[in-house]
Amino acid sequence: MEHLSTHTIEKGLEILRKFDDGRFLTSINSCVHCGLCADSCMYYVSMKENAFIPAKKVALIESIYKRYYTFTGRTFPKLIHAKELNGETTAELIDLFYGACTLCGRCNIHCAIGVDIAYLVSIGRAMLAEMGLTPPTLQSTVDAALTSGNNMRIATDDFVETLKWLEEELRDEVNDPDASIPLNEKDRNLLYTLNPREPKFFPLSISAMAKIFYAARESWTISTHMYDVTNYAFFTGNLNEARIIAQRMLDEVKKLNCRELILAECGHGERAFRWEAPNYLQTNFDFPVRTSVELLAQYIASGRIKVDKTLMKEKVTLHDPCNLVRSGGIIQEQRYILSKTVTDFVEMNPHGADNLCCGGGGGQLSMSEYNERRMKIGELKAEQIKKTGASVVVSPCHNCVDQLLQLNSYYKLRVKIKTLAELVAEALVLE
Amino acid sequence: MQGRRPAETRWMCLICLIMKWYLVITYISLVVCIAGCLYHVIQIIRHRKTRDFSKSADTVGSAITYSFTKAMNPARKESAYLHVPTYIAGMLYHLGTFLSAVLLFVFLFSIDLYRTIELFISVFLMVSILCGTAILVKRIFSKLLREITVIDDYISNILVTAFQVCTLVYIHFSLPVYYIAASALLLYIPFGKLRHAVYFFAARYYLSLFYGHRGTWPPIKH
Repeated sequence: MEHLSTHTIEKGLEILRKFDDGRFLTSINSCVHCGLCADSCMYYVSMKENAFIPAKKVALIESIYKRYYTFTGRTFPKLIHAKELNGETTAELIDLFYGACTLCGRCNIHCAIGVDIAYLVSIGRAMLAEMGLTPPTLQSTVDAALTSGNNMRIATDDFVETLKWLEEELRDEVNDPDASIPLNEKDRNLLYTLNPREPKFFPLSISAMAKIFYAARESWTISTHMYDVTNYAFFTGNLNEARIIAQRMLDEVKKLNCRELILAECGHGERAFRWEAPNYLQTNFDFPVRTSVELLAQYIASGRIKVDKTLMKEKVTLHDPCNLVRSGGIIQEQRYILSKTVTDFVEMNPHGADNLCCGGGGGQLSMSEYNERRMKIGELKAEQIKKTGASVVVSPCHNCVDQLLQLNSYYKLRVKIKTLAELVAEALVLE
Repeated sequence: MQGRRPAETRWMCLICLIMKWYLVITYISLVVCIAGCLYHVIQIIRHRKTRDFSKSADTVGSAITYSFTKAMNPARKESAYLHVPTYIAGMLYHLGTFLSAVLLFVFLFSIDLYRTIELFISVFLMVSILCGTAILVKRIFSKLLREITVIDDYISNILVTAFQVCTLVYIHFSLPVYYIAASALLLYIPFGKLRHAVYFFAARYYLSLFYGHRGTWPPIKH
């Protein structure tokens, strides 16, 4: 790493000072360096590199914090191995915090003490972002969202054209000329968001959701101005950019005056808007925010849509997205949906809040420089899938779906990867 | 004059106090330790949780209970069930430390110990000392642990183990070196990693706030 200017270093340290809250303070002071977290980290388990132990990541940010902000670190730096923030430590931070962590938070759950390791990594990323040291590959995804309104730089005309085509397909499928995919309609019950991967690569998942909305006779709409559920600035750690993206979504809900915001199947999108955005924007949302997973479960439970589980003949397993499950608390809903839409369901081991990350989280899918590591850690997920013997893997997250598709090809799993909406649409009984 | 000690008696008291210099040092160390730990407690309170604007899943209360109970269950923690010998050694070592700390107060305030309890305590401390030594040896020889170990880790382990050894010895032979070991440990607690004795509770509290607010904790059985 090249020499860092004093100004750059001060910007990084300012973030550490700014984040000096209780959650940060306790986590930075609690690690006892027992190393028992190693086996909970996919990077360490799959590559056995000591640098990847979660405690090592904690030690790194702890050493910098203590060097500048504690009596012991300032007076006896060698005693606690307090390090200065310089080119060397910065290079280490970039490699470990961006390149060797998916922010899955599995280490938090298993830490003997309860250190919030993922939070410390997030703060480390915020520090690097403030210093202008976000990996360019990841930053380009954020830049795309900031400049074009979605992270795939899909032009509005192309987006509208895709949705119009899908609308025609829907009309043919349900044999109803009035079936529609409503765009920019005001005063609807639901504003539905999308992951830009859907219009770009997986339009069938939009069709699936449109068909479900049709069956539920839902009053809904999609905005062509702001539909992107993702917020990659959550991964870069740049809170100002995260705030801009979140504000756009909030403005769109207000502009269209919809009663509820439904977040598409996207783990980090759900986390970034439902849980983090109110804090980015320092405001309480005065409208409900739910995921499509919760909505689908409600439709089925209330009898608003009818599904026939016997239509799915194959063995199905579920991949839990870390952000949706561990950091979002949505654990039962997807299982309830599966209990009503498939006959042969098998859990992975471990699953739920203890599930293994697919390897694509934390912005890893955007950072091509870490592709080799990403596929290597994905081997654990591939093995989990193989052990279930399932031929269909369902995941309520487009980011995870993308990684699972790559794992499917790389590890020759020969499985089908689907979203929950696709599965429900297949089991749907139209009356 | 009535009510005043003669000068000779005052001198005798001072001499006694000087002869028991190790007790004076221990009392001072105890005050420093309590003050240092209080400083950390005040820091925790001063940096208390910032307001979370997102809509809570309203399971924070039960998540806090869960965090300090079932979430600590070794059967639920990979850090425990994948490392049973280390986990048991760590638990016994901590129990031995708490026991030694209680005994320090017993000795400082001259509370009598029954002989039967003494025997039990001695055996337990021997086991705990062995565990502490094993943990230290593991830290020295494990490549993984060396990667994350700093001098503070060695000092902390040595001070706690030395304190337990001296406690064990003091039960049977009242040697002043016990108070030196206790003082060194007390003085070090607020400055080294041993302050996790204070931060541990705050860390688990914050973790439960996070997972409780989002509805992840306590888990619902399915």
